[in-house]
Amino acid sequence: MSNPFLKLDPASRREFMLGTARTALGVSVLSHFDRAFGASAPVPSGVGGKAKSVIYLYMAGGMTHIDTWDPKTGDTKGAKDAIKAKGGFELGGYMTEMAKVGDKFSIVRSMSSKTGVHEAGTYVMHTGYDPRGTIVHPTLGSWAQHFLGRSHKTLPSSVVIGAGEANAGFFPPALAPVPISSPDAGLQNAHSTVDEDTFKKRISLMNEFDSAFREKFKSGDVKAYTEFYDETMNLLTSSDLQAFSLSGVDSATKDLYGTGGFSRGCMLASRLVQSGVRFVEVRLGGWDMHAGVDQAMGRTGAEMDKGFAALITDLKNKGLLDSTLIVMGSEFGRTPRINENGGRDHYPKAYSTVFAGGGIKGGYVHGSTDKDGKEVTDKQVTVQDFIATVGAAMGLPIAQAVMSPSGRPFTVGDKGKAITELFA
Amino acid sequence: MNAKKHLFFALFVMCATAAFADVTRVFHDSQGRPLEATFIKIEGDMVYLQVVATGQTVPVPIARLSVEDQTLVKTLVPATNANALTSLATNASAAEAAAKIDQLVAAGLAQHGVKANPLMSDEQFVRRVFLDIAGRIPNYDETTAFLKKAGSDRTARAQLIDELLASEGYVSNMYNYFAEMLRVKDRVDGGGGNLVRGLPYIQWIKDQMSKNTPWDRMVYAMLSADGKIWNNGATGYLLRDAGMPLDNLANTLSVFLGTDVACAQCHDHPFANWTQRQFYEMAAFFGSTTTRLNGRDYDRRKLTAEVNSLMESSGINLTENRNLTQQVNNLIGANSYAVRDLPENRTKLPPDYRYKDGKAGDPILPKLIHWVPPDKQLKDVLRDDEHNPAYKLAAEVEKKSAAVKKTSKINPSPTTKQSKAAGEMNENLRSIFAAWTTHPSNPRFAMTIANRMWARAMGLSLTANKSVVDNPDDAYNPPLIKHLAKEMVRVKFNLKEFLRIVYNTQTYQRESTTDALAMGEPYYFQGPVLRRMTAEQAWDSYMTLVLGNQIDKIKSNEVDLYGRSVDIDLSNPKLDAKTVLLKVDAVQKIGAKQRAKFGGGLSMAGQEPGETDSMKIATFDGMKLMRASELEQPAPAGHFLREFGQSERILIDGGVKSGSVPQVLMMMNGRAQQMLTNHDSLINREIARQATPEKKVEVIFLSILNRLPTAREQDIAKKTISDQGESDGLVAIIWALINTREFCFVQ
Repeated sequence: MSNPFLKLDPASRREFMLGTARTALGVSVLSHFDRAFGASAPVPSGVGGKAKSVIYLYMAGGMTHIDTWDPKTGDTKGAKDAIKAKGGFELGGYMTEMAKVGDKFSIVRSMSSKTGVHEAGTYVMHTGYDPRGTIVHPTLGSWAQHFLGRSHKTLPSSVVIGAGEANAGFFPPALAPVPISSPDAGLQNAHSTVDEDTFKKRISLMNEFDSAFREKFKSGDVKAYTEFYDETMNLLTSSDLQAFSLSGVDSATKDLYGTGGFSRGCMLASRLVQSGVRFVEVRLGGWDMHAGVDQAMGRTGAEMDKGFAALITDLKNKGLLDSTLIVMGSEFGRTPRINENGGRDHYPKAYSTVFAGGGIKGGYVHGSTDKDGKEVTDKQVTVQDFIATVGAAMGLPIAQAVMSPSGRPFTVGDKGKAITELFA
Repeated sequence: MNAKKHLFFALFVMCATAAFADVTRVFHDSQGRPLEATFIKIEGDMVYLQVVATGQTVPVPIARLSVEDQTLVKTLVPATNANALTSLATNASAAEAAAKIDQLVAAGLAQHGVKANPLMSDEQFVRRVFLDIAGRIPNYDETTAFLKKAGSDRTARAQLIDELLASEGYVSNMYNYFAEMLRVKDRVDGGGGNLVRGLPYIQWIKDQMSKNTPWDRMVYAMLSADGKIWNNGATGYLLRDAGMPLDNLANTLSVFLGTDVACAQCHDHPFANWTQRQFYEMAAFFGSTTTRLNGRDYDRRKLTAEVNSLMESSGINLTENRNLTQQVNNLIGANSYAVRDLPENRTKLPPDYRYKDGKAGDPILPKLIHWVPPDKQLKDVLRDDEHNPAYKLAAEVEKKSAAVKKTSKINPSPTTKQSKAAGEMNENLRSIFAAWTTHPSNPRFAMTIANRMWARAMGLSLTANKSVVDNPDDAYNPPLIKHLAKEMVRVKFNLKEFLRIVYNTQTYQRESTTDALAMGEPYYFQGPVLRRMTAEQAWDSYMTLVLGNQIDKIKSNEVDLYGRSVDIDLSNPKLDAKTVLLKVDAVQKIGAKQRAKFGGGLSMAGQEPGETDSMKIATFDGMKLMRASELEQPAPAGHFLREFGQSERILIDGGVKSGSVPQVLMMMNGRAQQMLTNHDSLINREIARQATPEKKVEVIFLSILNRLPTAREQDIAKKTISDQGESDGLVAIIWALINTREFCFVQ
C-alpha cells in the first residue's frame, strides 16, 4: 500500500491520468507503473508489428461460419454450394467478390468461444475479457493509444463507425474511440450553426469572459478543459476534418464500394486510416439469422462481401495494404444444423475470423473444423488468442501487464497467444 | 441545548469528577502562550483540552504544545468524562454540530500549517448551494431574491439551505447521486434478457429520498427485500445483478462498508488482508438467495403451450407473428424474476480455488469479516467484536451453522428436524447480514456514508479513495472522519440532517481551493475543492435556463401503470392463457400512453402547470425537456448527458468529469446549445423583458453565472452588441458564457 497512486479512488485517478496523459500527448503515466509490475515478454522476434493501422470489421449478431468462410458439403451445407477462391481455398457461395481477392487474406477456421450470448460475446471479442460488474476493460484502439500515444496531431486515434457508443475502459476518456453513427453523417456536431467568422468571434468572446476565472483557478482539470477546446478548434479549422467526409472521394473509388451502408463505412475507414487514424471499427448488423439464412445472406452476406473486397482492393491501390491490417470478427458462429425456420442459431463452439494486410499471409487457412462445421479439429484459437494476434500485428507489448486504476493487472488479450503462423 | 446549558453541564461534570484524575493547569503552546485548561484525552496526534475560560473542549495538535507539555500530556490519564466532552449532545443544533466540525478541520489545518481559504461571497454561495443541494443552478429570480435578502439578513444562508433541503430538487439530485453509486438502470435483469424494468426500483429510491428514510433502514430494505420488483421496489438492488451474486457482493461491500474486496473474488487480495476464502464466507450470506423462479415453481412449457393454442384458435398464425410470441415469452420471463430465500445454501469454493485452506467445491459456511488494525493482534479485535452488538446475531449463526456441519459429518442423512433448523437458518441469512451491515456499531457502515456525504459537499472524501475506509487512521484528518461517523449515528442516519450540518459549516462556505492539487497528496479542507459539474447538474442547469424552476414539477411517473400491466402470478396453478394475453396487450399499451405525454414546445416553458395531468412535456429537436432523474437511466448513447460524462451505470460512481473532443463539439454546436440560443427559451424571454442592453447583459450573467458582470465584462458585451447587432450579440454572449470553464466548474 505504499504506492499513493493505488490508494486514489478510480475517479481521481482517471482525472489525474487525463491531465498527465494530455501533457504527454496521449502517452499515459500508467506505463511507468507497468514497468514496476513486470517486464514484458515480447512476441517472438520478427512476428507482427507491421500494421500501423487496423480496420476491424465487426459482424454484429453472430456471423454464420459455414455460409461464409468455412463451407461444408454435407447436411449442414446451407443453400449455396462452395466456390473456389483465388489463393486456393473454398468460400461460401455468397462470397463472390472476396473469392477474387482470396490471395490477399487468411482465414482462421478454428475459433472457439465460451459464450453464446450477444452482449457478453461482443464484449469479449473487443476486449479479450469476460464482462464483470466491477470493471470495464479497454478495447484495442485504446490499448494501442495507451502504448503508442496518439496517431495524429489533430485527428482522433480511434473511431467506431456504426455503433452508438464507445468508451476507453479503465483508461482515461481521452483514449476512447470517437463514435460515428453513419458514414454519411460524419463527425457529430462538427458543423457550426453560424458562419466561420461569427464562430471565431464567439470563441474569442468566450476566452475573454473566462480569463479571470482561468487566472484564478490554475487546477489541472481547468487547464485540461481549455486544452480540449483548443484541440477541438484545431480539428474544426484544419483540413484534416475532411477525413470524416466522403464528399471528396473520387468517383472510381466510390464505384468500387457501391452504395451500401457498410461499404460506405469501409470507404470512410480507408479514408480515415489514410489520414492518420490508427484504429477504425466498422460494424455491420443483421447477422442474427435465426430464420431464413439464405435470404438474409443475400442481403447482409452480399453487403459484407462487397465492402470487404472493395476495402482490400482500395487499400492495395493506395499502397496501404501492407501497413493496414483488416480483421473480421463476430461474437460467435451459427449452428451447423439448420432449424425449422430455415435459420441457424448461436454457436460459439466453432467459428471463423479473417485477417488481411498488415503483414498477414495471403491465401492461408489456419485450423479446421470437422466435416459438419461442428467441432474444431485442428489448432484451436481462443478469443484471447485472436485479440493478442491483432495486438501483435500492431507491435503492442501484449504480455505486458498494465494496472487498472483499481490496482488489478490486465494485458492485451488476457494472456492469449498470437497466432504466429498468420504472419508472412 | 444552547451553549450556556452546555457550559453548566460541563461544569457540573467537571466538579463531579475533578476529585479523581483530571488535571487542570496552565498549558503552554510552542510559542510560550499560556492556556488554562483541563486535560481531557489524547487521540493520535490530537490533544483534547477543556478551556477553563469557556468550558469548551477543543482539539489541539500535540506538536503545537510546548516541549514540556508534549511530554506531560503523554503521561496523563484521560478524563473520566472524556467521551461525553468530545461528542455533541444528542439533540445538538445544526449550527452547534457544524461548529464542532469546523473545530476539527481547523485543528487539522493547524497541525499541517495550512491556512483556511477566505469565506465565499453570497454570489458564489447561491450558485454552489443550489448545485449541491438542488442539482441545478438557480434561475434569475432565485439568484436576485437571495442576493437581496443576504444583504440584510444574516440567517439568509441557513434559511436557503433549509429551503433547498426541503425542495423537490433535493430528491432529484440525491437520486442522481445514488443512481450513479448503485448503478441503477432502466432494465435491471443482469442475465442479458433485459426483461424487467427498473422503474419501480428507481421510484422507490426517489420515494426514500422524498420521505428522507434513514440510510440504515434504506440499506436494510435493499439487502433483505423479497418479491418482484413492482411489488417491492427495494428488490431492484439484488435484481440489478441477477445471476451475478458475487459481483453484487463485491459492490455491496464497497458502497456500504467502504472495503474493496473485488480482488478477493478471484484470489487473495494483494494489498489488504482479505482472502478469497473470506470473500466466499461473506458470499454465503447470499448463498440461499435466488432471483429467479424455477421449474419447481411453475411449468413454463405448459403455460406457453396453452397461450400458443389459444392464439392459434383465435386465428393468429404463430410463425407470422413471432413478435407476439416473443412478447408472451418476455412477459412470462419478467414475472419469473423475484428475490427470495431457499432452505439450502449453495455456496461452494470455485473450481479454480488454489489455497491451502480449502478445496474447490467445498461448501462454505457464512462468516463475517473483521477489520484488523495493522497494530493489533487478531485476537484482540475478535475480543472487541464479542462486545460489538453488530456481530451478536451473526455470531449465533456462525455457531449454529458450525453445529449443523458437525452433525452432518457424523450423520450424513440428517433428521427432518435438523434439516428444518438448517433450512430456517439459511432463509434468514440475508436479514442477518443486513442487520450487521446497517448496525450503528458496525465498524464501517456509518463512516462510509458519512465520508461519502462529506465528499459530495466538499468535492473530495476524507480518504484517498472514497470507496475504501479500511483504515480510518490513514484519512486526511482521522479525528474528523471518526467524528463524522459518530455524527451520522447521532443523527440516526438522517442524511438530510447530516447534510444540513455539513452545508452550515464554515468549511463548506469557504472559497474553493485555487491551486492545483497534487496527485495523492493529503488535503486538509481549507475549503471545498473546485470541481466540474456532474453531467446531471449540467443538464438540469440547461433545463433551468430553458424552462425555469418549473422543471422540478415535471415527472414521468408511470410506475403503477407498469406494475399493474405486467404482473401475473406464475405460481398460481389457475393462471390461464387469456390472462397472459390480456397482460401482453396492457404492456404494449404502456408505450403509447407514455408517448402521448410529450409534445409541448419551448414556448410554453415557464408557465405554471395548471393541470399537470393534461400538460404535455416539452421537447426540443427530439430531446425531452425534463430533469436527468426523469429521463432514461442512463440516458441513451449520444445524449447530452452521456457526452457530458453520465455514468453508463456499469461501475460504482462511474460518472466521468473530464472533457473530450466530442463533448466540446456538442457544447459548441449541439442541440442543447441551439435550444439555449433559441428565442423561445426562458432566458431569452427574460432578456426581452429588459429595457436596456446593459440590463439584458446583467440578466444573462445572473442567469448563467449567477453573478453580475464586471465593468470590464460590460464593456466587452457592449462592444459585441455594437459589432454584431443586439439580437446576434446577445446570442453570442449566451453562447460564450455557456462555454466558459466558469460555467461548468463549481467554485
